[in-house]
Amino acid sequence: MGRRTVTRAEAEDFLYREAMLLDEWRLDEWLALFEEGGRMEVTTTDWNGWDSSSAGAFMCDDHDLLKARVKRLKSRKAHAENPHSRTHRMISNVIILEQGDETVWVAANFIIHRYRDNQAFSYVGRYEHVLLVDDGLRFRLRRSIPTMETMAPGARLSFIL
Amino acid sequence: MTQLTHTDPGGTPNRSLVHEDWDALTFKVHRSAYRSPALFQQETSRIWGHTWLYLGHETEIPNPGDFKSRTLGGRPLIFCRDSSGKIQVFFNACTHRGTILCRHNEGNTKFFQCFYHAWAFSNSGELAALPGDEAYADVPGFKERHRLRSVPRVDSHEGFVFISFDPDVPDLLTHLGEAAHYMSLTAKIGPQGMQTVPGVQLYSVKGNWKLAVENAMDGYHFAPTHNTFVGYLRETGFAVTDDDQYAYDLGDGHGLLILTGHNGRIGMVWEPRFGPEEKERIAAKRQEMEQRLGKELAAEVADASRILFVFPNLLLFDLEALTIRQIEPVEAGRTDVRAWQFVETGEPDEVRALRIKTMVSFVGPGGLATPDDIEAYEAVQRGIEATADSADPAWDWSDMSRGMANEKQGNQGRSIDEGAMRSFWRQWSRRVEGDGTPGA
Ligand code: FES
Ligand SMILES: [Fe+2]
Repeated sequence: MGRRTVTRAEAEDFLYREAMLLDEWRLDEWLALFEEGGRMEVTTTDWNGWDSSSAGAFMCDDHDLLKARVKRLKSRKAHAENPHSRTHRMISNVIILEQGDETVWVAANFIIHRYRDNQAFSYVGRYEHVLLVDDGLRFRLRRSIPTMETMAPGARLSFIL
Repeated sequence: MTQLTHTDPGGTPNRSLVHEDWDALTFKVHRSAYRSPALFQQETSRIWGHTWLYLGHETEIPNPGDFKSRTLGGRPLIFCRDSSGKIQVFFNACTHRGTILCRHNEGNTKFFQCFYHAWAFSNSGELAALPGDEAYADVPGFKERHRLRSVPRVDSHEGFVFISFDPDVPDLLTHLGEAAHYMSLTAKIGPQGMQTVPGVQLYSVKGNWKLAVENAMDGYHFAPTHNTFVGYLRETGFAVTDDDQYAYDLGDGHGLLILTGHNGRIGMVWEPRFGPEEKERIAAKRQEMEQRLGKELAAEVADASRILFVFPNLLLFDLEALTIRQIEPVEAGRTDVRAWQFVETGEPDEVRALRIKTMVSFVGPGGLATPDDIEAYEAVQRGIEATADSADPAWDWSDMSRGMANEKQGNQGRSIDEGAMRSFWRQWSRRVEGDGTPGA
């Protein structure tokens, strides 16, 4: 397992499909893209490469929190996302950074347009993911790194960045 | 000075935007207080211009030469530690022609050099280099007159640095009053002290700053607004209660909620989601705290969660873990927020990781709870447009009378009542609608 080479096309397919699931709010299918124990981080805008366990972050979900987040977002009582935001994700500049024995490091750029309450927000950033390679790909660490200097007025992170 | 007269949108002159009636047991705030750009200007000068403001924590700039640039009350500032180790706070504007002097968010430097004409200032404010100084008369005097402008008052309590743009304010401890004690309690959690860590949440909400204050002092919203968070805690094996939770008016607009049994506290009150090792560590840490502080003080520090509001711009959340939140009004309908994780200095890596994971899962624009608070402030800000200039002027008031009957009987206000908001609004009214003198 994992010794096979992951092509950029395979990584792109994985990321594009993930973006589709998120834009369509198919959150259970999205959660299945993580390996058991997989984690998610969204760094702060002053991020300087530090480990999320030693510095503040916008999101720092272990697998239990990730499940709790999905459960919450599916609830009508997740007020910040009821009604759901409309999101439209553009992913580009996909690069295989490094391939290890079990995992592959993938980077990509993203622009996520979000619409709610007749307002538009855009979130610009970069992904740096660690993916487990088996017969497909799965998230071991899903990390989003915002490029913005601050979250713009109203641009909260109530959805999955 | 005479009292300001506001004309409410219904056309009736009204002396006050805050109406309090202890016979009818009603407390109402006029919604223009959240909407009006003119009032926003008055707040900027009457509150932000004339009282102590929270700037930052000493541990953000631990080493000589460290600096952060930060805007407070709309004014760009440099918060730095000079080469001798002293905290300095300068207006971030070149004394030559006003250019922003430091254009970096943070760093370490001995000199701040203006790029425009290359004047250079030491980190203690002296004009150290004046290129082509032969063209100036009396160079030493000129340099002295053009040193960096320091903020008139700078002082700190337990490492929390406050500033005032008005030199004639009472000293910091007088301003903090009873709030100082609660800051000290939080500062005593760690045997080696407390510190901020990098990873600052910078975000902005489309809501008036006072909505952010109200929300933090409002236990009434917790169960309905944070329904999904309460559900998550229940699944981890912890039942949140609203019982035995009280609100305190600390005077001068400062407010406090003391929440017993509301949540676990890392290092102090165990909750299943913290895991079994943390349970053992909590027992050991309690012994350490009792030795260091005595039984009674250790219990006061550890047993209950606290949300402290220091008028007008500091919120100290001492909950599962700790967050310092600073609110910076930008316009009537917009507030910038900065939030730091506040941790025990020298704690083990796994505790630090647990602390950050736990706190971030609750607070901040990406947490499982704060986004619903933000939804609330923003929904209020949008909603209050509905009743502006309405057919019946009575519609354009928000109600904050919950718990007044209980309060009138002399009982301690509950966190799920609105007493803490009322004390905030009284101070706001004294400041903005009163004669504006400090402490008035
Ligand atoms: S404005 Fe700064 S050196 Fe001229
Ligand atoms: Fe809340």
